[in-house]
Amino acid sequence: MAMYLDRDDDLGGFHPEPDDDLIICRCEEVTKGEIRRAVHEGMRTMTEVRRFLRVGMGLCQGGTCGKLVKGIIAKELGVKPAELEECTSRSPARPIEMRVFANEVSDDE
Amino acid sequence: MNKTADVVIIGAGITGCAAAYYLAKKGVSVIVLESEMIGHGGSSRNGGGVRQSARDVRELPIAMYAIEHLWPNLSEELGCDIEYHKEGNLRLGKTPEHLEILKKLVDKSVSAGLDVRMIDGDEARQICPYMSHEVIGASWCPTDGHANPMVTTLAFYRRARAMGVHFISGEEVVELQKHHGMARKVITKAGNCYEGGHIIVAAGYASRAILNTVGIDVPLMKHNLECLVTEVQPPMFWQMLGTAEADFYGHQTNHGSFVFGGSSGLDAYVKNDNDAGEATSITAPSVCRGIMKYFPDLADAKIVRHWSGFMDDCADHVPIIDKVNEVPGLVIACGFTGHGFGIGPGTGLLLSQLVLDETPCVDVPGLRYDRFKAKA
Amino acid sequence: MKRYDLIVVGAGPAGLSAAIEAAKYGLKTVVFDENARPGGQLFKQVHKFFGSKEHKAKIRGFKIGEQLLDDAEKAGVEVHLNATVSGLFDCKEITVIENEAMHHYKADAIILATGARENMIPFEGWTKPGVIGAGAAQTMMNLHGVQPGSRVLMVGSGNVGLVVSFQLLQAGIEVAAIVDAAPRVGGYGVHAAKVARCGVPFYLSHTVIKAEGDDRVTGAVVAEVDSHFKPIPGTEMHLDVDTICMAVGLSPMSQLLSMAGCKMQDKGGIVPIVNEYRETSIKGIFAAGDVGGIEEASSAMITGKITALAAAYELGFAEEKEFREGETCYKASLAQLHEGMFSPANKGRTDLTVTDEGVLLSQNLLKKGYLDLGEIMRFPGAADEVKKVHGIHPVIECTQNIPCNPCQDACKFGCIAVGADITRLPIVNPANKCTGCGMCVASCSGQAIFLVNDDFSETEASVTLPYEFLPYPEPGTKGMALGRDGKAVCEAEVVSCRLSPSMDHTALLTIKVPKEMSMTARFFKAVGV
Repeated sequence: MAMYLDRDDDLGGFHPEPDDDLIICRCEEVTKGEIRRAVHEGMRTMTEVRRFLRVGMGLCQGGTCGKLVKGIIAKELGVKPAELEECTSRSPARPIEMRVFANEVSDDE
Repeated sequence: MNKTADVVIIGAGITGCAAAYYLAKKGVSVIVLESEMIGHGGSSRNGGGVRQSARDVRELPIAMYAIEHLWPNLSEELGCDIEYHKEGNLRLGKTPEHLEILKKLVDKSVSAGLDVRMIDGDEARQICPYMSHEVIGASWCPTDGHANPMVTTLAFYRRARAMGVHFISGEEVVELQKHHGMARKVITKAGNCYEGGHIIVAAGYASRAILNTVGIDVPLMKHNLECLVTEVQPPMFWQMLGTAEADFYGHQTNHGSFVFGGSSGLDAYVKNDNDAGEATSITAPSVCRGIMKYFPDLADAKIVRHWSGFMDDCADHVPIIDKVNEVPGLVIACGFTGHGFGIGPGTGLLLSQLVLDETPCVDVPGLRYDRFKAKA
Repeated sequence: MKRYDLIVVGAGPAGLSAAIEAAKYGLKTVVFDENARPGGQLFKQVHKFFGSKEHKAKIRGFKIGEQLLDDAEKAGVEVHLNATVSGLFDCKEITVIENEAMHHYKADAIILATGARENMIPFEGWTKPGVIGAGAAQTMMNLHGVQPGSRVLMVGSGNVGLVVSFQLLQAGIEVAAIVDAAPRVGGYGVHAAKVARCGVPFYLSHTVIKAEGDDRVTGAVVAEVDSHFKPIPGTEMHLDVDTICMAVGLSPMSQLLSMAGCKMQDKGGIVPIVNEYRETSIKGIFAAGDVGGIEEASSAMITGKITALAAAYELGFAEEKEFREGETCYKASLAQLHEGMFSPANKGRTDLTVTDEGVLLSQNLLKKGYLDLGEIMRFPGAADEVKKVHGIHPVIECTQNIPCNPCQDACKFGCIAVGADITRLPIVNPANKCTGCGMCVASCSGQAIFLVNDDFSETEASVTLPYEFLPYPEPGTKGMALGRDGKAVCEAEVVSCRLSPSMDHTALLTIKVPKEMSMTARFFKAVGV
């Protein structure tokens, strides 16, 4: 079961920061400010931020930005990054052309 | 923390979040309890169809109402682009048998007042030129469409939260308790007790166990479904797609990626002891084979992810949306059987009206909780 | 479905070691790797490894890779290259993309040895072309023979940052600076020292704040940071560079494990929760090498063997006695690598002030990347007694407890002692029988041993230093001797440049310098070069 989260906490309000326009997720071009704002608007888990902004949903599947995003969310929430839940890893581990994916070969004994 | 509200909603999926929003809009105080996180279940895992065609006529009125009155203004109303497209649904057929299936579906919908018709392959290709020539006909419903399910659910949540709805996640409900003959208390696994004048159970398959605690049973099963998403493609078309064979359905998103859902034929037998969305190794490849027959241009598009979710499959495959007269204060919204997203806003509005004893936006007698009878 | 006893994912040091070990016990094993070449990161590791003989110390990484491939072939291990494992499913089933098709395989045990990926830190302009991972730079140079840039800023002073900086220099690329937001050099002091004496400045408590340029990097701005790692206004400094190399840590590529449903934890990277045999929460699924937690290749090879041994025992291929013996041996070997200041237990510690021997650590080394002369003399490899020795003798500038002892093995004359505990600092025996053979110089993976002869001539001393730059200077070449800080200290002339196969490309460059400079001159730069 997921961690208990009372979502009434307003986290002290959103205050702009000078590097809010820094791109964090390169694949989906999501900025630090967008991530921070989403947290203040109620997205309190990695997965919710991901679903709301597409961050980490691009070709690299969050390989580069996952850790950065987690750090930003944790900081806004005032918790340690390790306290946040992980995003689920999904198959395929690398992007694969549909025609290859569809081309199942049976290697029988 | 105040644990009492006018309404306690169990489940923060599209249904629970939309109900919370429409209640809050009317000034009602609401607590939403969610065992996992916002939109954890089918609400974030589905293919995004906002469709009336091929819907069972018992739930069709909700879809038609929502598409006419709610979806078009939803982005503006919620202050968030939910990526709604109302550019039609093509349900495709490749064989005369397929066309027969489609014809039957069309006839039923037309009799219920929906604008949907059969078109031939060429007309279908005029609407969506990327279709292969294997397609010989389709049903065409111009007012159908699609939206982004993840964002829509979170947008309802975000707006409802901003309006004062109290959301608590990671709070699994284990029991409902009556008080003076009314449904009143909601007990959680952590031992917390919430109280509401009305309790809406919108917890997907988990609704069954919760309802059991006040002596109500609903005939639900967990049934696996899978979806996949491609990398970004150039803009191609905005129609929602399906097939007569029901081997896949999907659409292109604003983002450029295509989202497709589909079946391996073995989905009902996928082990359901987890709900983390772990996909099988065989479903997505099979869906891809289906897609390529209709859309050969997508063969080189890369699959980025595939995932699964469990639907709350109801015995007659349409939802239960009802006030439970034998347990006053209790309202049920579950059993959406994999097509609850498109009607989600409509369901939310309807639930708010049921709770407040307002005239409902639509009348859906076929969705009563006590409709299930043994065969004669 | 085709089924193996063991499937190994990843043909790097951990995966290959696992497969070789499994083959010993007769498991039907297959290794899948998404790359065109096996060996993982080993083939770009052109430096000599640390450890002891059994850890393949003083052997260059790519040679270890060749050896592993050879062993794997002899053991009959089936390796599929260009074979991407795309999923890990229930019942230990994997999907593999190979030859434009998707294959399904099962095994009774699966060892994930998928390694790690490079971390990034965001700063203004970090997405511009020219900002690359240090590992990527290493791949370009050492595998593809391509210079990643002409002038590089290295961000990060851990071993990766230090080793790659040195390799950039070897590839003829300038390293403008090494910056690290931490107040202390993160990697081995010996790696820092060999870069520093080439003249690369270290800026600790500094970070990169901007990559300049329109469509590619044309410069960098670095700034000092406060104790909260926030840049201090007014401390900005522009550097003329065309490449910014990020060496800010690695994260395990553990996606397949989490996809399979193994219980994971965040330890700065997402790693599976494992038992002493690196078995995950799912019985029969193991994590070997970096995917189970970032270490180095030597440890990865051992954890590979441990996982395979455990799998062999679980599946009834290894007898209990074999298992216990193997286990004891591998655990002891791993424990040796886990000793010393840089041990996993000491990770992140900044309060160490003395060595195990009680010698005060060099603060200069931690802040600037090199020791000053006064500090050097505190250490047993360069102490006053050593200095008093007549004739040629080694001076060992090894000042931190790291697990390494090839110098002891290299000296056939008993001049150098590390002892059984391989993290101890080497001691130079003052009863010197040094012949000046220089094998210690060539064998020191940290390039921290020099031969000094204060009696070279009436006025001159000779200094023999490890030299790994091409072209090797000819005897008679005149130039400048550089100090530990990379600054010219005096004129120098090359006396000899010796190389033999046993030195494995570490030439012994002997220069002559004024007598008083024998403990100062530590590098050579030919005039006009």
